[in-house]
Amino acid sequence: MVPSDPEISNSGMDDQELLRRIRLGDQDAMRMIYKRYGGAVFSVGMRILKDAGQAEDIAQEIFFQLWRNSDAFVHGRGSLGAWLVVVARNRSIDALRRRKPSDSVEDVVLASNQNLASEAERDVMIEKVRSYMLSLPPEQQKSIELAFFQGLSHTEIAAKTGDPLGTVKTRIRLALLSLRKALEA
Amino acid sequence: MNTQHIAQDDLALYALQSLSPEEAETAAEHIEECEECRREVAGIRGDMALLALSVDQHPLPDGATERFMARVAASVAPAPVLAAPVAMAPVAATASQSNVVPFAAVAPKRRVWPILVPWFAVAAMIAVCISLGIENKKLSDTINAESAMVTRISANASKAQQVVDVLNAPSAQRVTLTLTKHAAEPSGHAVYLPDRGALLFQANNLQALGPGKTYELWVIPADGKAPVPAGVFKPNAEGYASVVLPQIAPGIPAKAFGVTIENEGGSLTPTMPIVLAGG
Repeated sequence: MVPSDPEISNSGMDDQELLRRIRLGDQDAMRMIYKRYGGAVFSVGMRILKDAGQAEDIAQEIFFQLWRNSDAFVHGRGSLGAWLVVVARNRSIDALRRRKPSDSVEDVVLASNQNLASEAERDVMIEKVRSYMLSLPPEQQKSIELAFFQGLSHTEIAAKTGDPLGTVKTRIRLALLSLRKALEA
Repeated sequence: MNTQHIAQDDLALYALQSLSPEEAETAAEHIEECEECRREVAGIRGDMALLALSVDQHPLPDGATERFMARVAASVAPAPVLAAPVAMAPVAATASQSNVVPFAAVAPKRRVWPILVPWFAVAAMIAVCISLGIENKKLSDTINAESAMVTRISANASKAQQVVDVLNAPSAQRVTLTLTKHAAEPSGHAVYLPDRGALLFQANNLQALGPGKTYELWVIPADGKAPVPAGVFKPNAEGYASVVLPQIAPGIPAKAFGVTIENEGGSLTPTMPIVLAGG
């Protein structure tokens, strides 16, 4: 994990307070949010697009939408960090597949109990996810890679791997489901 | 509403946007009205967040925060304000606003408002034009200043790269220059790439010169032609001096290098004696 700016980590201002200030037009609060989560959002873009320029564009666009319409993220839709990285993943896949954004940011609702604003908690959770992913059967790892990081449809994955469509679908769901269980354990 | 729930496998694919457009549309219609499926999709997106966060982390590129904040700042730049007359629509004030005289009360019997409206509009347009003109001038000034800065930075970077190239070039001549008559402390060191005409020179323990005098560096060509001037220099208080990338035509192989003392501004031919030489 890239160390975040100590000024931000120690600011003591939680995401909700920063978002409240952003709604009032506070640019310093926007800078803090960008510094707190910009690296994570950029990293998702880099993983998918493998291009720093494009990844920065995606990050800038997402945070700019948050600045223009911070109501797009509402409390109760999960943590802001989780929401941002999922939006980043979806936008990066859209860019990779050269298609128009397939959903609006307001449509992305997620449930996450992780406190991603805490760098320490984030680091522990990331390590858990990484070791869990390595423990998955290779065919499940492959399915997640193709679906999540390359944005292939289930029919494309089936064509690519030669596996039956139903098997591909089940593998993806089971991989995600067991990831959740592994973290809850 | 379609009461048939979406299969769990398909909900995962829906969240991942891996369904076909037709399947996704059908699923979206159901999910919009089905709390249970909506909750499940939200849970799957939470799992997706964990996957997304597990990627190798990269710091933001240099200047990314500043670029983003510049965009944020630009988005809140004040819009040109229309001139006041436009806001003065002839809306009669309410009677309760005792300090406001209703427009009708001060208007002469001959109604002049219809005549003034075009003038107010013209005034408003002029004000907008002036405001835009000022804004345009500011932007032009900013662009010019930034262009000049980019040019300066590019020139500095180019020169720095040349210095590194010369220092690292395996084919560079490396020569130490010393006093010609005394094994004393003053010395010079030259690094020269003849094919580029690139020369780096530094000297130590040089004696201070009197007023109106300067040291001058010379490249002595290998083909026996006249010495080529390679820059004038004066030592600092510690006797240190350097000449970095003086203008020398490329393609002059050097037999030796020398330093002479010349009048201020340098000379086209060396004045004897040569105080430092090497080759």
